Amino acid sequence: MTVKRYWLFALAAAWSWSGPAALAQEKKPPLRWGTDPTGGAPYVYKEGDKFVGFEVELAEYLAEQLGRTSQMVRGDWDKLPELLGKPAYEDGIDIVLNGYELREDLEKSYPSTVPYYVYKLGLVVHKDSVGRISGWSDLRREREEGGTRRKISVGVLGGSVAHEYLKGKEFGNALDLRINPDVATVIGLVEQKRLDATVQDLPACLYYVRHGKDLVLADEPRNPGFYVILTRKGDEELRARLNAAIKRGIRDGTLKRIYEKYGLWNADQERLLYWTEQPWPPPFTGNEEGEEAETGPGTHLGTLVGELVRAAGVTIFLSVASFPLAMLIGLVVALGRVYSPGWLRIPLGLYVEFLRGTPLLLQLYFVFYLLPQLHPVLTFSPLVAGILGLAINYSAYEAENYRAGLLAIPKGQMEAALALGMKPLTALQVVIVPQAVRIVIPPVTNDFIALFKDTSVCSVILITELTRKYNELYNFNRDYVIELAFVTAGLYLVMSYPLALLAGYLERRLGTHATGGQR
Amino acid sequence: MIRVSNVVKYHGANRVLDGISLEFRKGEVAALIGPSGGGKSTLLRCINGLESFQQGQVSIDDRLQLVGGITPSRETLLRLRRTVGMVFQQFNLFPHMTAAENVMSGLVYALGRSRTEAEAVAVRLLERVGLGDKTGAKPAQLSGGQQQRVAIARALAVNPAAILFDEPTSALDPRMAGEVMRVINDLADDPQFQAAMVIVSHDLAAVRRVADTVHVLEKGRVTYSGPAAEAFAPGGPAAALE
Repeated sequence: MTVKRYWLFALAAAWSWSGPAALAQEKKPPLRWGTDPTGGAPYVYKEGDKFVGFEVELAEYLAEQLGRTSQMVRGDWDKLPELLGKPAYEDGIDIVLNGYELREDLEKSYPSTVPYYVYKLGLVVHKDSVGRISGWSDLRREREEGGTRRKISVGVLGGSVAHEYLKGKEFGNALDLRINPDVATVIGLVEQKRLDATVQDLPACLYYVRHGKDLVLADEPRNPGFYVILTRKGDEELRARLNAAIKRGIRDGTLKRIYEKYGLWNADQERLLYWTEQPWPPPFTGNEEGEEAETGPGTHLGTLVGELVRAAGVTIFLSVASFPLAMLIGLVVALGRVYSPGWLRIPLGLYVEFLRGTPLLLQLYFVFYLLPQLHPVLTFSPLVAGILGLAINYSAYEAENYRAGLLAIPKGQMEAALALGMKPLTALQVVIVPQAVRIVIPPVTNDFIALFKDTSVCSVILITELTRKYNELYNFNRDYVIELAFVTAGLYLVMSYPLALLAGYLERRLGTHATGGQR
Repeated sequence: MIRVSNVVKYHGANRVLDGISLEFRKGEVAALIGPSGGGKSTLLRCINGLESFQQGQVSIDDRLQLVGGITPSRETLLRLRRTVGMVFQQFNLFPHMTAAENVMSGLVYALGRSRTEAEAVAVRLLERVGLGDKTGAKPAQLSGGQQQRVAIARALAVNPAAILFDEPTSALDPRMAGEVMRVINDLADDPQFQAAMVIVSHDLAAVRRVADTVHVLEKGRVTYSGPAAEAFAPGGPAAALE
């Protein structure tokens, strides 16, 4: 046998031993599990350049049990179930594994596995507040501040179980409920004492109490529920294999080991095995069903629409309060850029470029979260911070609109005004600015309509406006998703269309003679 | 009286006014003529303080002075401009105001007169320039000639000691230019009207009808100053430009 023939033989032998097995291994696709890492610790979070967390380890364990590899797919938390229906190349997923609680409305479309964790809601406060808020019942009490009484402010994740719980009968309107999509942010505000308390799922509470500087659990956790994995409807085989793997993990102590690593093991988990052995899902006796049966679906939708309309009011208030301010600042900046001495034009130019070149979201963060850390005097309520942030951001765009308008006014206009003996400021006031304003009506109106929609960014600073409210309602009312979306879009249209009409009217009324006969 | 003494102005390295000395007396109609780029319009803008100059002096009635190389005080500039009116080639009416509001603007916003008083003046002056029926019209609704007549009324409203006309008819067709020159003629013929009028124009035929004195500017220098009759006489400097 020549050397060449020997190698061919060796390759064929190697193929016959490992080839088919290797191919079979390759054929098993990874277990694609959907999560939203912004939810943070201890679920899924980054350490160095690696994602860790008890759900990451749980996913790895389950994938291993299924003979597959684990592949994390990121998405927005409340939209994760929708990813179950998508193919892999469109970021589709096999399971949702991200602190999703067992819920009747979800169960209909996305059948769940047996529970992998028993959670409760925890009440977290600053350690200095313990005297004032030592239990759940204290949340209903108003607090004295600067001679006025005000409700206790409680931060929660919008659309979470905690949010629904605090909106319920026990607390109702007794609270000043502040909504934010990010746990770490809410926790940070409690640490800074800008929120009185927060209610979160116990795993998050335990993590932050352990890692935060001054946070404590104020009372016994309450309102237990199950974390489950959501699967595709009709994917019974996968669900059965996941159920078996979860039970196995509980029995052999794997889950306990994972939970202990993150400080999450407690007495409630001792009964996890019992729950996994009950017929699943258990019968639902939730409030929502009862309420709907009493009132009927139409009334329920009416209530939701009412909430959206109230949130639209916040959108209108934010827009109407911030835009005139943006126009005023923008006009001053534009006048400075066109008519001031050269040394002043440079910082004004930088002001415009900085604000146009950085996202509104960051600017709102800066105004609301960072300014107070520079000096306590710069602490603003969410609404004031929202108005300021929007006004400052849009002032840059308005400055450019006005600058374009000012530059479009022929030089002769200023000369004619000065030649009549007007002071430069008077000339600007009565001759130049009125003409510039007429020219910029279309772009300014455009910006006002854009600002209406940009108010939705204010949700990051605890303001619940229309889009935020829609997202909140969406999560717990998936049966009305289409209706809610139409109502929300309709409300935006109802708010912005009159503006477009007004702009058209102003253009016709004022704009026609703005430049006639002058060029 | 406007006295211009040895005024020198540079545009960069270009000496656009090269030692100009002239006088314009009350009631006199003076024409500045000469080839394009000779410095006529620049001189008017220097007299009105719209442009600075580097050397020399401009004085109005020996009360107000602009000195070359020195930035005038804001107060001096305001007083000077309220004393010397200006009419521009492109009219420069304020397009968002009516004809009457344009005429009122100097009185109300520069001199602080009441709107009622200013309105009465505006109506009278618009009638004088033949636009009594156009008080409520916006500039865009007026012809070029009508706009320029409104601009003249606007300059007259503040009762200036002198009016500077910077090529008032060059943006107009001959018919409209004729309308405007008729207004200037009427003012020149009005014994009550005592303001000095300085007209920069290329329309020599029109200038000939209205001017008392003629000054020829070439390359930033005055090459002729004398009575209009002499300037336009055969062989005179103005006749040479025709």
